[in-house]
Amino acid sequence: MKLDKMTDGKQPDSSQLKADTQAALVATHPCFSKEGHQYARIHLPVAPACNIQCNYCNRKFDCSNETRPGVVSKLLSPAMAARRFVKVKQHVPETKVVGIAGPGDPLANPKATIASLKAIAAADPDVHLCISTNGLALIEHLDKLLEVGVKHLTITINCIDAEIGKNIYPWVYFNQQRLRGRAAAQALIDQQLLGLEAAINAGMLVKVNTVLIPGINDHHIESLAIELGRYGAFIHNIMPLISDPAHGTYFGLMGQREPSSEMLGAAREKAGQSMQQMTHCQQCRADAVGKLGQDIDINSLENVEPALPPHIRVAVASKSNLLVDQHFGYATEFQHYLITENSIQAEANFSWQQYCGGDEQCNDDKANRDLNQLAHFDLLLCSRIGLAPRQELEDLGLQVDTHYALRDISDALRQIQQQMQSEQSNQHHLLVANAANAGCGGKECS
Amino acid sequence: MALSITQACIGCFACKEVCPKNAVTVAEQGFMIVEHRCDECRSNTNGPQCGQICPVETAITDNQGRALNPPGSLSGIPQKSHVIAMTK
Ligand code: SF4
Ligand code: SF4
Ligand code: SF4
Repeated sequence: MKLDKMTDGKQPDSSQLKADTQAALVATHPCFSKEGHQYARIHLPVAPACNIQCNYCNRKFDCSNETRPGVVSKLLSPAMAARRFVKVKQHVPETKVVGIAGPGDPLANPKATIASLKAIAAADPDVHLCISTNGLALIEHLDKLLEVGVKHLTITINCIDAEIGKNIYPWVYFNQQRLRGRAAAQALIDQQLLGLEAAINAGMLVKVNTVLIPGINDHHIESLAIELGRYGAFIHNIMPLISDPAHGTYFGLMGQREPSSEMLGAAREKAGQSMQQMTHCQQCRADAVGKLGQDIDINSLENVEPALPPHIRVAVASKSNLLVDQHFGYATEFQHYLITENSIQAEANFSWQQYCGGDEQCNDDKANRDLNQLAHFDLLLCSRIGLAPRQELEDLGLQVDTHYALRDISDALRQIQQQMQSEQSNQHHLLVANAANAGCGGKECS
Repeated sequence: MALSITQACIGCFACKEVCPKNAVTVAEQGFMIVEHRCDECRSNTNGPQCGQICPVETAITDNQGRALNPPGSLSGIPQKSHVIAMTK
């Protein structure tokens, strides 16, 4: 259906973006412009779930649409992601771009993705927010993305022909069911093109990634690029398939070959007649940090003493004002503490509309309070809490702890401070161990 | 009447994202389904949503221990052990 729509003589409509705004969007983004190299970007791994399966992806690893397979990044909550951004920005002030690319699909994790983007925009209004998606759920979430200020978008479109797509995507979860074969590919392609069109109309700068798969979509690259050009996509990034059997992907295990550099060059040249080609992509990992081609080791960064001491913002639900003795659902205010490595500071109480009657199960339908208001806390202490608000708070990046129930508040805070001190050194070890395992292919596309 | 998550789970959160009952939870031992919340998506003609999106074979089972996505059903990668099991 989608394809019929494209043949009615639609012209690329790039005039919708004022030339100078567009130029500004391009110039500072390292992925969209070669000159953007002097600026740095950080990818935050907050989105683990995915709604499709690609044959070049092993879901045990990061999304290979935008990332090099082989590394499972440490997942971050939205609050942790914002903190990492602030930390990186302190060390690398050129950090102009924050991307969410996985490790699954950002839009299959809309809550975590939007919450992270919001938190980052609040920390630095000037930063460019971008996401990389397979496009399946783009239409559904486009308004939200625009609202939080996303202006750069990458969609991975490998083909616009379902006959080809069925050899790339074994299944697609769409409309509450797992589609397979042609139907799966057609649903994905339809949604990708709808999303592409709407995003461009909304003034976003859209990059399209295509994984070049010899024998599967290589003969199709030219017509794909023509269509992308007609839609008004900004730049096209053709990436070579990585199919090392060690990654355990379907293509890897089935012996699908990778393109040679000549094939890649030829594909880019053909596609280049209708789409501006991107030749400096480094296929960064979902947790990449820094300038293109010179990733900063996030592990070494995390070990450096940050300029601001790390801190935890704690909300405490208390009836007695002495003990952690209130059910979250009953609380009408929270005590508010700021814990750093060497201080525990009381702040003004945070007043709050009671969440529910505090029944054992805290029913979902009663959960009508906007928990977002609590998002600036890192940790909530209470005596009990229903499962639904607990999960929702955790999705917002708040840690909820009931282990201190009926304990003295000041004891609890002191214990948390001690934990924080020991975690600092533990995290160091963990990250060092992770770094040792991070053996990604190191394959570059240009 | 509830489904279970097995050791095969890779912790990708996909089921948690789509479960209409908020029944999937992350416990210390890993992902699990809260029994009294899960109604096996009885009112959905497409069946259990967690099973529809889970990318890993055998990660979700019914109360008989049968995998909603048996070996070979998702990846298409030939399962040698599966073939042997069938021919025995
Ligand atoms: S979209 Fe990304 S995470 Fe999802 S299956 Fe494809 S490569 Fe993997
Ligand atoms: S069967 Fe339905 S209700 Fe039960 S865990 Fe799966 S998605 Fe949730
Ligand atoms: S979708 Fe499957 S693999 Fe992912 S968390 Fe749920 S049970 Fe585990």
